[in-house]
Amino acid sequence: MSSPTIPTAPRLRDLSDAEFRAQYGCDRFSATVITNRLRYAVEHMSTGFMREAFSPIIRDWYDFACTISGPANKGYPMAVVSNSLVVFLGTMGDAVRNAVEEYGPENLRPGDVLICNDPYRGGRHVNDVAFTRPVFVDGEIISYVTMCAHQLDMGGTVPGGFSATKANVYENGLVIPPMLLWSQDQPVRSTFSLIFDNTRWGGMLLPDFKSIFQQLKLGELLVLENIDRYGLEAYLGTLDYSCDTSAERMRDAIALVPDGDYAGSALIDADGLDDTIDYTVRVLVRKRGENMEIDLSGTSPQARTCINCGVLDAKTAVGVALTMLLDPKVPFTSGTWRNVDLAVPPGTIVSSLPPDGGIMMFWEASGAVASAVFDALNPVLGHQGVGGDYGSTNTHNASGVRADGTPWTSATQCGGEHGPWGATLAGDGDSYTVLFTLNNLDPATETIERDSPVVLLRKEHAIDTGGAGVFRGGAANLKDALWLTAGAHYLSPFRTKEASGVGANGGQAGPTGAMWLFPPGDDGATPGLLGTAADVYADSIPVAGVLDPETKALDPVDGRYHYFAAEQVWATRPNTILRCLTNGGGGWGDPLQRDLERVLADVRNEYVSVAGAARDHGVVIEGDPRSDPEGLRIDHEASAQLRARRSA
Amino acid sequence: MPDVPPPLEVNREPRDGTCPRCGAADLRAYPVVAEQGWVQVVKCQHCLHSVSREPWHRLGPIQLLADLV
Repeated sequence: MSSPTIPTAPRLRDLSDAEFRAQYGCDRFSATVITNRLRYAVEHMSTGFMREAFSPIIRDWYDFACTISGPANKGYPMAVVSNSLVVFLGTMGDAVRNAVEEYGPENLRPGDVLICNDPYRGGRHVNDVAFTRPVFVDGEIISYVTMCAHQLDMGGTVPGGFSATKANVYENGLVIPPMLLWSQDQPVRSTFSLIFDNTRWGGMLLPDFKSIFQQLKLGELLVLENIDRYGLEAYLGTLDYSCDTSAERMRDAIALVPDGDYAGSALIDADGLDDTIDYTVRVLVRKRGENMEIDLSGTSPQARTCINCGVLDAKTAVGVALTMLLDPKVPFTSGTWRNVDLAVPPGTIVSSLPPDGGIMMFWEASGAVASAVFDALNPVLGHQGVGGDYGSTNTHNASGVRADGTPWTSATQCGGEHGPWGATLAGDGDSYTVLFTLNNLDPATETIERDSPVVLLRKEHAIDTGGAGVFRGGAANLKDALWLTAGAHYLSPFRTKEASGVGANGGQAGPTGAMWLFPPGDDGATPGLLGTAADVYADSIPVAGVLDPETKALDPVDGRYHYFAAEQVWATRPNTILRCLTNGGGGWGDPLQRDLERVLADVRNEYVSVAGAARDHGVVIEGDPRSDPEGLRIDHEASAQLRARRSA
Repeated sequence: MPDVPPPLEVNREPRDGTCPRCGAADLRAYPVVAEQGWVQVVKCQHCLHSVSREPWHRLGPIQLLADLV
C-alpha cells in the first residue's frame, strides 16, 4: 500500500474565465444558475406527479425519479437528477442512452414519449417504466427529460410482482422494449393496449400515465425556457459542467484513499426455489491514484429465481456506496463514475442474463453490492468509515378479499420495508429510513389501514438492536401487522443469516432480524397487543431468521435458519399477526468509548436496555426506565471498573 | 444438495506491451461498465492506467434477437 496520490489534472476552479467560457459556453456564474434552475425543473416535475398520482406506491412511497440528459453527440450525459429514488437515478443515464440508441434518435419527433421497462436494457425491474421525452431545438434533439415510475403491476405470475419465486423473465412480467407511448403528443393506442392487456389494475396506471405525460411536457418547457434565456450553447455547456463537477469531486475523494486492493463481501440467504444455496456478492476494490476498479469476480452465479439484479443496478450501488463513503456531497450524475470502472463477469446474481436470470427483487441484490463495498473499504477508511444498513427491505406483499367480497391488495407496506442506517463520524445512525440505495417515503399508517384490512399494532424501534459504538447504529424496526381477513402473503426477507449492518472504525455490527407469523387462537378471536419478550415466539410460525429451535426466539449463534420461501405464498387465516424485525445498523467507533451520558439517554429512551448498556458499552446504569425514567443514573465507579476490565 | 456452479471470474486477456505510465508489462483486455456504459478496455493491471477504451456492445454480453432481424 502506498501513500495517497493527489490528482494533478486541471481543476474546474483553476480555469480562467476565458477558459471556462471556451469549455462550457457560458460564464461560471451562469453555469451554476442554469444547473440550479434545472434542479428546480426536475423537482417541479416531481412535485406535480406526487400531487396527482393515484397509485399508492407513487403517492405514499415516492417510487419515482426525474432526470435530464444531454444529446447523443455528448454521450447522453445524465446531468441533473431529482431528490428521489437513487436506484432509479443511478441507472437512468444508461437507460436513456440504451433506449434511445435502440429506437434510433433519428426516429424521434417532437412530442414523442419513449418508454422502456426492460431490466437488461435499463436496469431496475419491469415495474419501473422509464418515460423519456426528447427536447428539440431547431429540429435537433438537444436533451432528454425522463421520468421513471414504479407501476403497481406489470403482469407476470404474482400480483404486484414482488416475489422471490418467479423462475424466469416470462413468469416475471411484461417486458417492454423501447417503443412510443405518445407520438407527437398523441397517445399510441396499441402501446396502451399492450400494457393494459397484460397488467392488473390498469385503471390505476392510466391516470398516472397521463400525469407523467404532463410532467414530461413541463420538464421540456422548463428546459426550453432556460435555453431561451441563456442560449443553447450555455445550456449544453452546463450539462457538461454539471457532470464534470461530479467527476472532479469523486476523483478527489478517490485519490485520498490509500492505494491498495480491498476485498469485501455480503451474503444473501437464499433464492425463492429452496434454501440449499446461499449467494455471496464479492468485491475487490482496486485503487490506484485517482482511479478505482470494482471487480465483482467470485460473486455467486445468478439465482434460479428472480432475486437477481442487472449490471446497471450493480453500477448504481457502487456509485451510491462510494458517494456515501468518500464524499456524500458529490452530485449524483453520470460523472460520478468517471474514474470508476466496474468489472463484472456476466451471469452473476448482480449481472444476470435473460431469460433464466430473472430480475425482480433487484434492490436486494444491488444493496448487497453496496454492503460489500462498505465491508471492503471500512477497514481502510478508519474514522471516515460508515456503518452498514439493515440490508433488506423484507418486503411484504399480500392480497385477499374482504367480508363484503371486495378485493384488497397491500404492496410494500407491512413488512420491514423501512429500517436503520449505520452510524458515522457525525453521530448515531438514523433509525427509520430505507436502504442506502433507496430514498423513499414511509406510507402513513392511516392510509395503510384504510386501504387494507390490517391494523398496525406496532411500528417501533426495537431495543438493543443498534450496533454498539462511540456512535450507535440505528435501531432495528419492529412492526406487527394484524390481518383481519384471510390473506395470501409474499414475504421476502433476504439477509437474516449474517449481519448486514457492518461496523465501522471499531464499532460493532447491528444484529440480524427475523420474521414470524402468529396464527389466531382456536377461538379465532381478534388478538390483542403481542409482547416483545423472548417467550412470545413459541406459538409462532417462523418465516425467516436464525432462531432457537425450541423458543423460536432469535439465536444468531446457535439457532437454525428458517427459509422465507418455505411457503411460496403464506396463506393466513383471519386475525393472524405478522411480525417483522429488521436487521440493525452498524456502530461507529469503540463501544467502550461512548459517552456515558449518551448511554444513559439511550437507556432512558429504550434504545438500549440496562443489561445492554453494561454488556455492549461497559456502562452500569441503575434504575428502571419504565417505572422511573427520570430516576436513572450512572454508576460511574462501577462503569470505570467494567470498562477497564473489558479493555484489558 | 444441488450442484453449485463455481464462482464466475472476469476474463482478462493478456496483451503485449508495457504500460506507458508505470512501465509494468501487465496489460489486460476486458470489458467494464463505466460512465458511458459498456467499454472494452486495455488496462495496466499494476496502476490501472487505460491504454485504450473503446465502446463495447450497448448491452454488454447480452445480444438481442431483434438485432438479427
